[in-house]
Amino acid sequence: MTATETETRRITTAKAISEAIAQEMRANPDVFVMGEDVGTYGGIFGSTGGLYDEFGSERILDTPISETGFIGAGIGAAVEGLRPVVELMFVDFFGVCMDQIYNHMAKIHYESGGNVKVPMVLMMAVGGGYSDAAQHSQCLWATFAHMPGLKVVVPSNPYDAKGLMASAIQDDNPVLFMFHKGVMGLPWMAKNPRSIGDVPEERYTVPIGKANVAHEGSDVTVVSVSMSVQHCLDVAEALEGTTSVEVLDLRTIVPLDREAILKSVGKTGRLVIVDEDYKSFGLSGEVVATITDTDPRLLKAPVQRVAYPDVPVPYSRVLEYEALPTRDKIQKAIETVMKG
Amino acid sequence: MRLGFYSEMVRIRTYEEAIRRDYHADKTPAWDIGAGLIPGEMHLAAGQEPVAVGLCANLVQGDALTGPHRPHHLALAKGVDMKAMTAEIFGRTTGLGKGKGGHMHLFDPSQHFSCSGIIAEGYPVAVGQALAFRRRGTDNIAVAVAGEGAVNQGAFHEALNLASLWNLPVIFVIEDNDWAISVHRDSSTPVKDNAERAASYGIPSKRIEGNDVEAIYEASKQAVERARAGGGPSFLEVHTVRLWGHFEGDAQAYRGDELTEAESRDPIPLYATKLENAGILDEATAAAIKQTAVDEVEEAIAFAKASPEPAPSDAYLHVFA
Amino acid sequence: MSVVIEFPTLSKDEAAEGVLATWFVRSGETVKAGQVIAEVMVDKVSVDIEAPIAGVVTCLVEEEAAVIQGSPIAEIEG
Repeated sequence: MTATETETRRITTAKAISEAIAQEMRANPDVFVMGEDVGTYGGIFGSTGGLYDEFGSERILDTPISETGFIGAGIGAAVEGLRPVVELMFVDFFGVCMDQIYNHMAKIHYESGGNVKVPMVLMMAVGGGYSDAAQHSQCLWATFAHMPGLKVVVPSNPYDAKGLMASAIQDDNPVLFMFHKGVMGLPWMAKNPRSIGDVPEERYTVPIGKANVAHEGSDVTVVSVSMSVQHCLDVAEALEGTTSVEVLDLRTIVPLDREAILKSVGKTGRLVIVDEDYKSFGLSGEVVATITDTDPRLLKAPVQRVAYPDVPVPYSRVLEYEALPTRDKIQKAIETVMKG
Repeated sequence: MRLGFYSEMVRIRTYEEAIRRDYHADKTPAWDIGAGLIPGEMHLAAGQEPVAVGLCANLVQGDALTGPHRPHHLALAKGVDMKAMTAEIFGRTTGLGKGKGGHMHLFDPSQHFSCSGIIAEGYPVAVGQALAFRRRGTDNIAVAVAGEGAVNQGAFHEALNLASLWNLPVIFVIEDNDWAISVHRDSSTPVKDNAERAASYGIPSKRIEGNDVEAIYEASKQAVERARAGGGPSFLEVHTVRLWGHFEGDAQAYRGDELTEAESRDPIPLYATKLENAGILDEATAAAIKQTAVDEVEEAIAFAKASPEPAPSDAYLHVFA
Repeated sequence: MSVVIEFPTLSKDEAAEGVLATWFVRSGETVKAGQVIAEVMVDKVSVDIEAPIAGVVTCLVEEEAAVIQGSPIAEIEG
C-alpha cells in the first residue's frame, strides 16, 4: 500500500474560494467575513463553506439584510486596520448600497491623499444561464470597472479563484471579487467540468492585473473573462486542427492587462471578445480601444464582439440562451473573423 | 472646564468667520462659485459649536468620529490640526489630503476623524470602526454625527439596527439645526423627536433642547461611559442652530423672520453671559481668548496661503495604495 | 483491504433519490484517507464524501447519475 503525495487535488471553485479565505484568516487575525448567510449556510453560492465551523461567529458574521449598513461597516473596520471580506449576495443588489461602494470604498484613499487605506474585499456572485431573470443574473463588472478606485478581479477556474482571493485579501486596496455562479461547481446548477480543477493545498497567490493565456494559438485571439472563458476553451479545443485559437483569460479587469491584449493581437491580428456583461459602453469596447488607441493596423479584420445584448436578462430559457454568449456564437465569431 | 468650553467655541467661531471672509473675498464682482482661493461649496457651522465642544470633550485619543458635509467644528474640537485642515480647504499639498479631498472630505487618521459629503453615509462607517475597536479589545468608541435631514436616509436606520444588534460601542448624534438646506424638519419628518425613532431600535436615546454646551457635555458623557463599559450604542439628538446659510452663497429667503429669531439664539454670547454671571468670565479674559483664537486662525490661513498648490500630475496619484 | 463507500442517508424519506453531483477523482487514481472524493446531494442538501482509507479508487456511478440512498458509489482498494 503506497500513499502518493499529491500536492494538488481536484476541488470546486467554491471550495477554492473558501479555502483561500480560511488560509488568509489563519495567517492574519485581522481578516474576518461579513455578509448574508455566510455563517452556517456557508454562503448562498458556497463561497464561505466550512468557515463558520472553523472560526465561529466572532469572525464569520451573519448580517441582517442591510447592505449599506454592513458594507459601510466593512469600510469603517478597514480604515481602522482590519481586513474584512464582505459578501454582497448578488451583484445585482448593488443598487441598494452603491454609495458606500463607489463614493466611499473607492474614494477614501484618494480623497485622503493616500493617508487612509481601505484594505477590503467585496465579493459578489454574478452571471446567469439558470433562469434567475433580470434582477439576479447580471455581470456588471464594467459598471464597477468604470469608476476609479476599485480593483476588479474575475476568476474563471478554481486555481485562479483561490490565488486571486488570497491576493485580494492581502491587497491594501478595495478589491471587488466577482465570481460567476456557473464556475462555482455547485451541485445544484449545471456545470462545465472546468469548474472543478487541480488546486494546490498550500497558500499561494495569483497576481492581480495579469491576464493568462489559457490556450495558446496563432490564428485568432479570443479575449474573455469569467464563465465565458470556459466556453472559449471548449471551442478552442474543438477547433484544434482547423483554427489555432489563443484564449486570453483576463482574470483582472481593473487594472486591465493591456500589454497582454496587445501582445496576443500583435501575434494573431484577429480579435474576438466574449463578454457576458452588456455589450454597449463596457468591457468589450474597452478591449477594442486598447488596440485602436495603440495601433489599429494590428487588426487584419474587424473585431467580433460576442457580448450580452443591450437587453435585460429574460426569464424564459429559450430567450435567455438567445442572449447568452454561447459556444455556437463564439465559434461563429471565430469563423467570421478568420474570413476577414 | 467651563472657560475651556467657552474658549473652544470662540476658537471655532473665529475659524468659521475667517473661512467665510476668505471664501467670499475673491469671488467678486459677479459671484462665481468656482472662483477664488477656496473654490467649490462651503458649509459652515456657526451656531453649532456647542455640539462639537460638548461632545468631543468626552473623547480620548483613539476614539473615532465621522462627520457630515459641515465638518469644521467637529474636526477642530476633535483635535485635527488646524493648519493641515486649512491647507486642505485651500487645496494645497500641505493639506490633510494633499489637496485631493477639500472641505467636505477631511481625513485625519491620527485623530480617527473623517467626513463625507453624502448624507448619513458616515453612520455605517462608524459602526465598522466600533466593530474594529471591540475586536481589538480597546475601550475606544466611535461617534457618528449627521444632521436632522439624515434621519430619513436608509443608512441611518441600517446603522442603528446593526449597532444595536451587535451591541457596539458607537454613539449616534444628530445635529438638528431645523433646516435641510431649505426644507424645515417639520416638512420632512413626521416624528417630532428622533430619539423616539432611535429608541425603536433598542438604543438608549435622548433629545436635548437649548443648544447648551454643558447639557450636551453631560448627556455625551453618559453615552460615552455606557459605550466604554460595553453597554452598547446611544443616540443623542441635539437641537442646535444654523446661524448662516446651508452653504455660503445661500440667500436664505426661505427662512424669513425665523432668521432674526435664530440669531438671538447664538450660543456663544448666551454662554458668555452665563459665565459672566457666574463670575468666571470678564471683558479682559474674553478679549484675550478672542485674540488667541484670531492669532491661531490667521496663522493657519497664512500657512495655507503660503503653501504650494499641487502639480497637475498629482491628479493621477493615490488612486490605489 | 477493500472498502465500499455508500451514498449517505441525507433525507428522512429513505426512498428519496439523490444525485452524485461531482466526482473529484477518476477511477484508478490513488487517494489519501480523508480526501474529498465526491459531492452528493439529496433535496438540495449536499455533502462532501471523504475517502475512509487511502488507496486506489473505483467510481461505481456516473456523475449526475440518480442514486438511491445507501447504494454503493465507490470502492477503495487499500
